[in-house]
Amino acid sequence: MKLRADHVAGAAFVIFGAAIIALSGDLPTGQLSMPGSGFLPKIVASLTILFGLLLVLRGGESPAFSELAWDDGKHALLVTAIASIAIGLYEHLGFFFTMLLMMVTLLLVIERRNPIRAVVYSLAIVAFTYVSFVYGLKTPLPEFSF
Amino acid sequence: MDSTFISLMHGFAIAFQPDNLWYAFLGCLVGTLVGVLPGIGPLSGISILLPVTFGLNATQAVIMLAGIYYGSQYGGSTTSILMRIPGEASSVMTCIDGNAMAKKGRAGAALCIAAVGSWVAGTFGVIMLTLVAPPLATIALKFGPPEYTAMLILGLIFLAYMSSSSLVRTLLMACIGLLLGMIGIDNMTGHFRYSFDLAELGDGIGIVPVAVGLFGLGEILSTPSHTVVGEVITPKFRELLPNRQEWRESFWPIIRGSGLGFIIGIIPGSAHIISSFLSYALERRVSKHPEEFGKGAVAGVAGPESANNSASTGAFVPMLALGIPTGPITAVLIGALMVHGVNSGPQLVSEHPDVFWGFVASMYVGNLMLLALNLPLVGLFVTVLRIPYAYLYPLIIMFCIVGVYEVSHSVVDVYIMLIMGILGYALKKFSFDPAPLVLGLVISPIFEQSLRQSLIMSNGDYTIFFMRPISLGLLIVSAIMLALSAYTFMMKRRDWRATLAEVEAGEVQQ
Repeated sequence: MKLRADHVAGAAFVIFGAAIIALSGDLPTGQLSMPGSGFLPKIVASLTILFGLLLVLRGGESPAFSELAWDDGKHALLVTAIASIAIGLYEHLGFFFTMLLMMVTLLLVIERRNPIRAVVYSLAIVAFTYVSFVYGLKTPLPEFSF
Repeated sequence: MDSTFISLMHGFAIAFQPDNLWYAFLGCLVGTLVGVLPGIGPLSGISILLPVTFGLNATQAVIMLAGIYYGSQYGGSTTSILMRIPGEASSVMTCIDGNAMAKKGRAGAALCIAAVGSWVAGTFGVIMLTLVAPPLATIALKFGPPEYTAMLILGLIFLAYMSSSSLVRTLLMACIGLLLGMIGIDNMTGHFRYSFDLAELGDGIGIVPVAVGLFGLGEILSTPSHTVVGEVITPKFRELLPNRQEWRESFWPIIRGSGLGFIIGIIPGSAHIISSFLSYALERRVSKHPEEFGKGAVAGVAGPESANNSASTGAFVPMLALGIPTGPITAVLIGALMVHGVNSGPQLVSEHPDVFWGFVASMYVGNLMLLALNLPLVGLFVTVLRIPYAYLYPLIIMFCIVGVYEVSHSVVDVYIMLIMGILGYALKKFSFDPAPLVLGLVISPIFEQSLRQSLIMSNGDYTIFFMRPISLGLLIVSAIMLALSAYTFMMKRRDWRATLAEVEAGEVQQ
C-alpha cells in the first residue's frame, strides 16, 4: 500500500489525541451532574482520534506522501532558525539591535541581497519602527540589557 | 425604531470626535495596505496591530481594528486587478475578470467599480447591522447555558459545512483549537491543565500568538521570495471613471452582491471568501452573456467585491449581538474588546452603548473614507506593490515578533507564535485550513463553561438541550447540516464547495 499524505496526517492526529488522553490522567472526569476539569478535554481528544482515524481510512484519495513538494523547506528552516535566535536575544539585546541583526541576516543569508542596501534598508525600517512605537504610540520596546 | 435612530445619532456624535475620526482613518489606511500586500491578510494585520491599540479606549480600539478588517476588503481588489494575485483570500474571484479588464486597458474602471461597489455594499451592510443587531441582542438576553452550548455547536458545524475543505478536516482543526483553548487554569475547579509547570501557560494560550503564527509566519515560511513574481499594471488617473455602459452593467450585480453578502456574513465560516464565490456564480448564472465571464465581465468584478464587503459587515452582527465569532477575524476582535474590559454579546448594547453605537456609526464614516482613499491613492498602492517580496517579509517577521511580544511582554508567547508558524506551514502542506483552529481556540472557554453549567443545572440530564425550544431548534439545524455533508460525501457529489476549493487553489498558485 502506498503511503498517502492523509495517512501521515491522520496518524499524527491519532497520536496527538492519545497523548492528550494520557496527559489527562490526573484530571478528574467527574460525573454528568458535576463534570470535572478532565471531562471535555477527554471528549475532544477522543473526537480527535476518531477524526484522525477517518482521515487515515479515507487516505487513498489524497496525494502520495512522497509527492508532497518540500522545495520551500530550506527557506522555511532558515527563516525559523534565524527567527528563533532573534526571539532568544530579544529581551537581552533589545528591539533595535535584535531586529536590525535579524533583518540584515535574513536579507544577506537567505536573499543574497547587496550588503550595503540590506544594511541601509534594515537600519531605516528598524529606526522608523522604533521611533513610531516609542515616541508616536508611547509603547515601550525592550532595551539593551546585558 | 425611534430609539435606534436616537442611539445612532449618539453614535455619530462619538464617531465624529476628532480622535475617533483619526483612528477610523488610520484603520482604513492600514487595512487597505494590508489588503493590497499579498501575504498579509486582515487576520494577521489585526493581530499584529492589536498591541498598538492598548493605549486607546475600547471605542477607539474597535473602530481602528474594524477599519483594518473592512479596509482590507477594499485593498484586496487592487492587487487582484493590477497583478492577478489575490491580495486577500476574498479577492480570489476578482482576479479573474478584474485582471482581464485591466489587460483590456480598463484597469481604472475596474478599480472604480470595485471601490464604488464596496462602498455601496459596506454602507448597506452597516444599515442592516444597525437594524438587526439591537433586536437580536434583546432576544439573546433570554439565552441560558444550554442555548449558548447549542449555538456554539451549530457555529462549528456550520463552519465545517461551509468550509471548502472536507468536513473531517475542518472538525479536526476545530478539535485542535478546542484542546489548545483548554490549556491553563480550569475556571470552574482551579486545576492546572497541560501547562507543564510553565507559569506563562497558566492563563492559557492567547489568540494573538496563534493567529499571527498560523496566518502570518506560516505564510512566510511557505513562500520563498523567488516564487513571488508579478507584473503590476499601472492605471492612468484619467481612466479611473467607468463609462456609461460599465456603470449600467455593474448596477444590479452590486445590489445583488450586497444582499447576498450580508446574509452569508451572518453565517459562521469564512463568509467574506464564500460570499464572493457565490456572488460570482450567481452573476454568471443570471447574465445574458455568461461567455464574457473570465474575459473581463464587469459583473464579475462588481458582484464579488460588493459581496465580500457586505459579508465582512454582516459578520459583525453575531459578534456584537450574541458575542459569538463567525470566524477567526471576529474572534480576534472579540479578544481585542476583552483586553479593554468590554465583553461583546447581548449586554454590549445596554452596558456599553458608546462602544456599540460609536463603532456602528464609525463604519458609515469609514466606508466613505475608503471610497475617498482608494481611488486617489491608487498610485501609492502601485508603488507599494513594486516593493520586492524579499524586502517585505523580513519586515513582516519583525512586526510579528513585536506585535506578539507587546501583548503580554512574554517571550514564551513569541515562541508559541513560532511553533504555530511551523504548524501553519505543515498544515498547508497537508491541505488543512487553520481558520477553524483559531475559532475553536476562541470559543473553547465559552463552550466548556456553558456545557458544564448546562449539565450542572440539569443535574446531569443531557436531555436539557432537547427540552428547551431554542436549543432544540439550533441542534436540529446542526443535524441537518451534518446530514447534508454526509449525503454529499456518500454520493461523491461535487458541490459548490469543491469548486470553490479548486478555484482558490488554482488562483493562489498563479
